[in-house]
Amino acid sequence: MTWSRDALAGKIPVTLVTGFLGSGKTTLISKLLLHPDMRRVAVVINEMGEIGIDHDLVTVSSENITLLANGCICCSVRTDLQETLRDLFAQRRVGEVFDFDRVIVETTGLADPAPLVQTLASDTLLAAHYRLDGLITLVDGLHGEGQIDQQTEAVKQIAIADKILVTKTDLTSADHLETLCERIRQLNSQSPIEFIQQGEVDPKRLIDLGLSSSRASLKTLQFLGEALTVDAVSADVTGSGRYLGQRSATHNSAVKTLSLRFTEPFEWLSFSSALELLTTLRGPDLLRLKGIINVDGDPVVIQGVQHIIDTPVKMDRWPSEDKDSRLVFIVRNMELDVIRNLFQAVGAIKSASTSTT
Amino acid sequence: MLNAPQSASRADQTLSLNMKLLAHHELAGFGGLGEGMGMQLTSDGRRILWLAHESAPKNFSGVDVTDPQNPKLIVQTELPHMKLRSNSLDVVGNIMVVAYQTTTVGIKPAGIDIFDVSQPETPRLLSHFDCSGPYSRGVHAVWFVDGRYVHMSSGASDFQPRNPLDDQFYRIIDIIDPEKPVEVGRWWYPGTREGDEAPPPPRLPAQFDMGFRTHNTNVFPEQPNRAFIGYIDGGAVVLDISDMKNIKVVSQWNHSPPFNGFTHTVLPLFDRGLWIVSDECVQDNGADWPKLVWVVDSRNEANPVPIGTFPAPPYDAFAKRGGRFGAHNLHENLPGPTSFRSDTIIVGSFFNAGVRVYDTSNPYQVQEIAYFVPGAPKLSPAGAIQLNDVYVDDRRIVYTVDRFTGGLYILEMNI
Repeated sequence: MTWSRDALAGKIPVTLVTGFLGSGKTTLISKLLLHPDMRRVAVVINEMGEIGIDHDLVTVSSENITLLANGCICCSVRTDLQETLRDLFAQRRVGEVFDFDRVIVETTGLADPAPLVQTLASDTLLAAHYRLDGLITLVDGLHGEGQIDQQTEAVKQIAIADKILVTKTDLTSADHLETLCERIRQLNSQSPIEFIQQGEVDPKRLIDLGLSSSRASLKTLQFLGEALTVDAVSADVTGSGRYLGQRSATHNSAVKTLSLRFTEPFEWLSFSSALELLTTLRGPDLLRLKGIINVDGDPVVIQGVQHIIDTPVKMDRWPSEDKDSRLVFIVRNMELDVIRNLFQAVGAIKSASTSTT
Repeated sequence: MLNAPQSASRADQTLSLNMKLLAHHELAGFGGLGEGMGMQLTSDGRRILWLAHESAPKNFSGVDVTDPQNPKLIVQTELPHMKLRSNSLDVVGNIMVVAYQTTTVGIKPAGIDIFDVSQPETPRLLSHFDCSGPYSRGVHAVWFVDGRYVHMSSGASDFQPRNPLDDQFYRIIDIIDPEKPVEVGRWWYPGTREGDEAPPPPRLPAQFDMGFRTHNTNVFPEQPNRAFIGYIDGGAVVLDISDMKNIKVVSQWNHSPPFNGFTHTVLPLFDRGLWIVSDECVQDNGADWPKLVWVVDSRNEANPVPIGTFPAPPYDAFAKRGGRFGAHNLHENLPGPTSFRSDTIIVGSFFNAGVRVYDTSNPYQVQEIAYFVPGAPKLSPAGAIQLNDVYVDDRRIVYTVDRFTGGLYILEMNI
């Protein structure tokens, strides 16, 4: 195969860290900033004052950017994240900011993380230089359950996360944690859950959650949630394999994970029309979407949050023998059959050039 | 501002995006390289990168880059005297052609040497083609890629320019017998030679006048009857060389005036009907800015149309960083087994703005996708890196050289 450029390789990965008020974000970020393995990482925070950086550790600083002794670049948001990320790249290019190879963003507690994810996809300048590497949600080990019960933001943050960190696990009982994890699983059946204490986490646990290359590999499967993990092996509700199934919560049946599989290849036009129809009509309830689509035989990875779908990535080859189209949706108030029927119906309408009738 | 911000143009900084330094070799203290970079695959399976030095005392160096992380200098040759520079070379198989240009007219050796480098540690001289003369400084640049013809920018004993700056023109030398090189064709900008019917061409303002003189003279197997010439202040010229005794112009484009001249390289992208044209920056501290890389639509030979420029490195960050800032050489999609070739990915050297990689898939909106700006090399008179030329091999390893002391930088791209 002739070499062609990897569209994702050169993009700076961005990790968004979110979590409800009091979930421990500030503690986590403060510890992260001082971790020895944070060289060439830029951390975007809301306010310098909030974090309280020990000034002995500062080597260089300007209005809103501080270079810490461990090589970490700490940057506070001025107007909004969009402008901050643009400025960071521009300043990096002229040498005003030392080179960084990834960005970790602390989002505010009440934030709906979806708009931030969408910004990275829809702002063409940001999309040219950055890619979303992961959305990490912190869940308060003590109060998480109550937040899930009462706060739609908390539910959403968990549902669309690529990884969930349960905090303050040293302050609560194992039973309590087990119940909490079950509640989390009901909202997000695929993303790994980890426990942290005192905000201590190795930066390596926060990164590499996203699609980092258009060259297919095991990592592609991991991104799609298909690599062999305990969850993947467990039986699905309908008992017919991991796909063609849905998992829903007993407490919060509004949010579900729906998995679909199609054996017939799609034409791009019909697939994208069906997806567009779905996002137009039910965008706000399509919390997260990830999948790999067989487009006339070629593998195309798609992902999106609500009504914004990222630029599809054509992979250089299939990551495994499985060449069916597979989609995983995290939705609110929608049924599996509705979505499946839509894609099957639209998929059956071939375009004029291939239609025989 | 309460805190003094980091200066944006610190020459000691290394800046990089999607490029990683694999190795740096200072070439035994002679780290001043010109524009001659060629790669040979030896019969014993080694890869030798041949580099022409920018000025005396050294002639050329051979570096074993079989393992790009461990380059080894295996040979370095001397020029016969100090009023000489090689600056340019090319290698095909085991035959290497090296240019010699003198500092003033009328002295020798001026011309090209043809070497057998089957044993790279001991290059064996096969012949010398003399280009010396009362008005000639010899050869500035050679292009030798088909194993037979050397296309070069050269003076000649029988060529008297009207203006001394216009002393080099296009000559084609046939080395089918490498021991008996023969000139088989030549072309010069009408009006530049004493005795021409055409009037002398109007010159650029004195501070920018660099001459109506050839620089790169490239010919590709995709279209062997065409020579793509960077004619310095004469702009981009494309010649029909199907009859080498009767060469004709088929295309011309010149951005100057109003720009500041010095068209250096015309790189055709045959399947896309485009030329990528680079200027050369020749003055320090941004004095001749802008020196850019241009995208020209060449589908109609009679009417080349410029459609854009590559996004330039930021002027404020680099113009006063030290030395030259601006475009110069491109990796020219050389034919042959050792060279990278791409219709869309273009790699160029930009003096103190380092080496930069571009994606021209959308020719109207070229994107910069990678760069590497080394920190100022030790003892550099420019006080900053001055990357002078670049070569990308078939493994997509990038080799780039400093003009003064920095030597060879070997990089890999993440694209």
